[in-house]
Amino acid sequence: MISLRQVKKRFGRIDAVRGVSVDIPRGQVVGILGPNGAGKSTTVRMIAAAIPPTSGSVHVAGLDAVGRSLEVRRKMGYMPESAPLYREMRVRDLLRYRAGLYGLTGRERAEAVRRAAGQCQLEAVMHRRCGELSKGYRQRTGLASVLLHNPEVLILDEPTSGLDPAQIAETRSLIKELAGRRTMLIVSHILPEVQKSCDRIVLFAGGRVRADGSPDELIRQLSGTEQYAVEAKGPRRAEEVLGALAGVRACESTALADGWQRCVITFAQGMPDQREMIARAAGGAGLLVRELAARTTTLEEVYLRLLAGDAAPEAEPEGASP
Amino acid sequence: MILRIAGRETASYFRSSIGWVAISLYLLLSGFWIAFATIRPGEPATLRAFFGVSQWILLIIAPAISMRLIADEKRTGTFESLVTAPLSDWQIVVGKYLGAVAFFAAMLVPTLAYVGLLEAVADPDYGPILAGYVGLLLVGMLYLSVGLLTSALTENQIVSLLATVFFFVLLELLATTGGRWLGPPFDEALFSVSVFLRIADLAKGIIDTAHVAVFVAASAWFVVLTVVVVESRRWR
Repeated sequence: MISLRQVKKRFGRIDAVRGVSVDIPRGQVVGILGPNGAGKSTTVRMIAAAIPPTSGSVHVAGLDAVGRSLEVRRKMGYMPESAPLYREMRVRDLLRYRAGLYGLTGRERAEAVRRAAGQCQLEAVMHRRCGELSKGYRQRTGLASVLLHNPEVLILDEPTSGLDPAQIAETRSLIKELAGRRTMLIVSHILPEVQKSCDRIVLFAGGRVRADGSPDELIRQLSGTEQYAVEAKGPRRAEEVLGALAGVRACESTALADGWQRCVITFAQGMPDQREMIARAAGGAGLLVRELAARTTTLEEVYLRLLAGDAAPEAEPEGASP
Repeated sequence: MILRIAGRETASYFRSSIGWVAISLYLLLSGFWIAFATIRPGEPATLRAFFGVSQWILLIIAPAISMRLIADEKRTGTFESLVTAPLSDWQIVVGKYLGAVAFFAAMLVPTLAYVGLLEAVADPDYGPILAGYVGLLLVGMLYLSVGLLTSALTENQIVSLLATVFFFVLLELLATTGGRWLGPPFDEALFSVSVFLRIADLAKGIIDTAHVAVFVAASAWFVVLTVVVVESRRWR
């Protein structure tokens, strides 16, 4: 549905996007994640045909976003950051106006306004001026205004920015409802935002794609190791037994106050589940095990490590697709 | 599409305080002038004084109308929604310009009361009055086109207003003072770029097609420049 090939964007002397290649199939909900200034908003603005790339190509539904930008925009619903609205307009008038810009008139327009207002639960505020709305309703109005023409692609830039926790939860559930069969890009620098709403995460940093995959894949690819925590006691020291297992990179042991030992065993990335092997080895050595668990790396840990350069991002092919 | 954008733009002036402040200020200042300089015993039954003072008042009012056209949309972020809608930059710029011109024309409508007032106390010649209104509309279109351009060049409305006023004051000083100082053969060329000298002719009741063509062409030129400025975001 969306295809970017070696896309670069330069603003004066600043390279905002430095060779991004991504393919997004129809119906996928993709989180575009990265710190401020990572190039994610610039990339989606190029997808939305608001600005052209300096080099490379952007295609949406097979259409060149530069050469056929008006057709691309017809297929697209783009809600910029903080859902800017005309403060002096009433919600109903704003939706009618926006529908008109997409060529909807008469009954078709009235139906589109009614449907979008219903989807975003705006019925109660249709008569109110946009400037008088709460942030949550403003966000909903912004969303409704990009749904009017029933776009195939929906791009939401920081859709929960500035909202309180209750409004964030409301907006999140609304986004999930809207996803349906649409291709959706959610731009954010807030990790839980994209983790909860998206099938796939494309992580930007320094104008490049640094990682790409489902949240689980990213953890697996980027955590670098598999870890297990074991609490055991017995005739032999636990770290001697467990540290000798095949594929173990490290085994750190801590003596607990009640006489048990806690070991954190680190295996190289890509090893199959080692819990059964650990249990067998411990049992064979006469160790009593009261806890054995795979230690899960959170996406947040991976994200922060990647941004800090602790992980090995260069090992990831730039702009790789899953 | 252009008319849709223009319609929203015109309506937005009536929905916001800036539109009503502009109308009130214009009517107040021009009304004072009518009361003290036109409706007096022995004065000719013309609106020449009103048209004369209007070009000065409008030098502030018109840039105040145009300053928000693009600058405010860029500041609030609504411009992003416009440029990602299936609209060409031409449609956006021309629509906004026509919306401002329509509001400007609507602002002139209440001043027709001055014509009624003149009719009530004397027997005015309608030819010069019609020419004067054509002149006001033309000068308004020119002021608004330059204001549109400055509005596209900045996100700050005040900068847009000051830049537009400064442009016309400088142009007028160069044209009139420069023309008088240099004398022939340069004076004629310099006088020809004076907005006020051209308006003075129209206020006398002379609808010179050369004046009309200059105002229309100059306005169109600044609208085209604005389109170029808006389009420049694509190749910057």
